[in-house]
Formats: sequence, structure tokens, C-alpha cells
Amino acid sequence: MASINYAQRQISCKIVYYGCAMCGKTTNLQFIHDHIPARDKGNLVSLATETDRTLFFDFLPLEVETIGGFTTKFQLYTVPGQVFYNATRKLVLRGVDGVVFVVDSQWERMKDNVESLRNLDENLAEYGLGLDAVPYVLQYNKRDLLNTAPPEYIEFLLNNREQRQLSFQSVATTGGGVFDTLNAVCKLVLKRLQEKHG
Amino acid sequence: MNGDDFVLYEEDVEGIQQELARFLSEAQANCALLVHRSGQLVAQSGFTRRLDTTSLAALAAGAFASTEEIARLLGEPEFNVLFHEGTNANIHLCLVGEQAIMVTIFDQRTTLGLVRLCAAETGQRLHQVFARALQRDLSSERAVVGLPTGDLFRQSARGV
Repeated sequence: MASINYAQRQISCKIVYYGCAMCGKTTNLQFIHDHIPARDKGNLVSLATETDRTLFFDFLPLEVETIGGFTTKFQLYTVPGQVFYNATRKLVLRGVDGVVFVVDSQWERMKDNVESLRNLDENLAEYGLGLDAVPYVLQYNKRDLLNTAPPEYIEFLLNNREQRQLSFQSVATTGGGVFDTLNAVCKLVLKRLQEKHG
Repeated sequence: MNGDDFVLYEEDVEGIQQELARFLSEAQANCALLVHRSGQLVAQSGFTRRLDTTSLAALAAGAFASTEEIARLLGEPEFNVLFHEGTNANIHLCLVGEQAIMVTIFDQRTTLGLVRLCAAETGQRLHQVFARALQRDLSSERAVVGLPTGDLFRQSARGV
């Protein structure tokens, strides 16, 4: 649910990083927060357990001036990935405008990735949406590890809908692919907004 | 976008600001925010300079969403009001219609009872103003949404 505020010349959009537990959602936001100038970001808020597992969500507001003199605010959220937090994941998806689906590239996590994508589609359906309606990109994370599936296999497994989505390989701990992913999903969201209201 | 996008024009923002300012005056509260239930900050009024209102809006929406689920588990339609009492500051959250939350921060200069009373009245008036924006037919609206040619965000050195 995006908003356009003519009085303050602001556009606001919500982007959610989704994926199975420990796939790198929070790491993405932490890297972005650490590597964006202070003028373009707000505080990184993390609601986590004592062991730094996301309990409710992470939140990072970003701001950029886009064409037309409007300031566009992108509010980045992550969801808790552990299976039993599904009710919380649904709450965080409320009003979503774009999704980054983060994939743990390790072979042994493929089943969890598939389940998480299915879960995303189900939870979007609770808001009358689905993966066909919400702009999203895929991020194949942890490409630095040894036991990773080839990107082609992950594409076959997860990017097999009628409309293929943009995908990026990443190493979120060191930042590889993080900003490419962020820029891609933000542009997709703006493009959709432009198609609707431009 | 999920079809619930909304556009706020100057008259909407002015109307909301007027209601919030009036509420602060009547309730003797420190500041008030109007927050969409998705976590977006719509408007703010009062002493907000030292507050991270963006984060507060996201957290308030999260808290409300969480209690909505608790209410459902208990068989309640919803909890309309949340209140947290602190040592120096208190926070009161109440629903404005179905899509927004009004967040009020107040201290010992006023009372919870007065804040609740004024918030209930203001909430009804705010709902009318905000509902107009939410229900606006956007099919004929043309907003200026530009697409940048380059990257929106560039990675900088850590800690810049």
C-alpha cells in the first residue's frame, strides 16, 4: 500500500524481505544500514531474541529523491523466518508494495526455501494478493559457501512461474549483491506505482 | 501495490493537522501521530523533534497488529485501545476507523481519562478526513512518479 502525499511531496512504499530462517534477511538490512549515508536512512530497529533471531521484525527506513522533486521513502522490513512465527509474518506483510525473497543457496535448505515461497504466496493471499500481484525479486544468498546449489537449479526450483522474476546472487555478509537487489526491487515498486498512478 | 494506495492532497493534510493540533490542545498531550496500519507515518503534531517518529509509527503499527491477533485468539473482535504507562511518559494508541492508528504521548500534566475522551472524539473526526483520502477514486488521478535512470541507492563506505 503506497501513499503519495502531494502536500509534503512524498511517496512512501513498503518492502519486505522474506525467506526461511537464517537465510540472510536481517543481514541484508544490517549491511544496507551500515553502508548508506546517514542523510538517506533512519534508525535500524530490530525486534529480536537474546540470540539475535528476529522475533517480530527488523525495520529500516530509507529515503531518496526521485524524479519530479518527490522524496520517496522506502520502508524495509524483514520477517521472522522460523516456521512457528507464521502469524507474525502475516502481520508484517500488511500493506506490502514489494518483496525481496532471500534464498539460502545451500543444498540442504532447498526444501525450506520452497516451503517459504509457498508460505509467502499463502500469506499474501490473506490480503487478497499473491506473487502474481506484488513486485518481487529473488536473491540467491550465501554464494560464498561450498555446498551451494547452482543458480540455474535454484532458478528452476523457485523462479518457475509464468513471469520470470529478476534474480541476484549475493553474499549478504560482505555485501555482494545486496545493493543490486535493493535497487532492483525499489525500481520495480516505483514502476508499478507509475503504471498505476503516473 | 495492493489497490489500497492512497493520495493525500494539501487539504487532507491540513485537515488532519488541524484535528491533531486541536486534540493536543484539548488533551494537554505532548504529541500525536496518525499512522496507517501498515506502519506508515501519515501525520504528526506537537513536540516530536526528539522522537524518531518513523520508527515509532512502525512499532506502533506492529504492536497494534500483534494485539489484533491476540484479540482474535481470545474471541474478541479487536482491542480498540492500547495504553502503556511509563515513569515519565505514557503512550496511548487507538484505532481511527479501520485503517489508521492515533498515537498519543503524554505525561503527568494530563490524565489518561482526558486523553481517552479526547482521542475518541478526535478519532471520529480524523476518520472522516482520512477515509476521504483512502476512498478517493484514483483512476483519474495522475501523480508525478518518476523512474530514475541510475541506481537509487549506492553503497558507500561503512559508517559514512
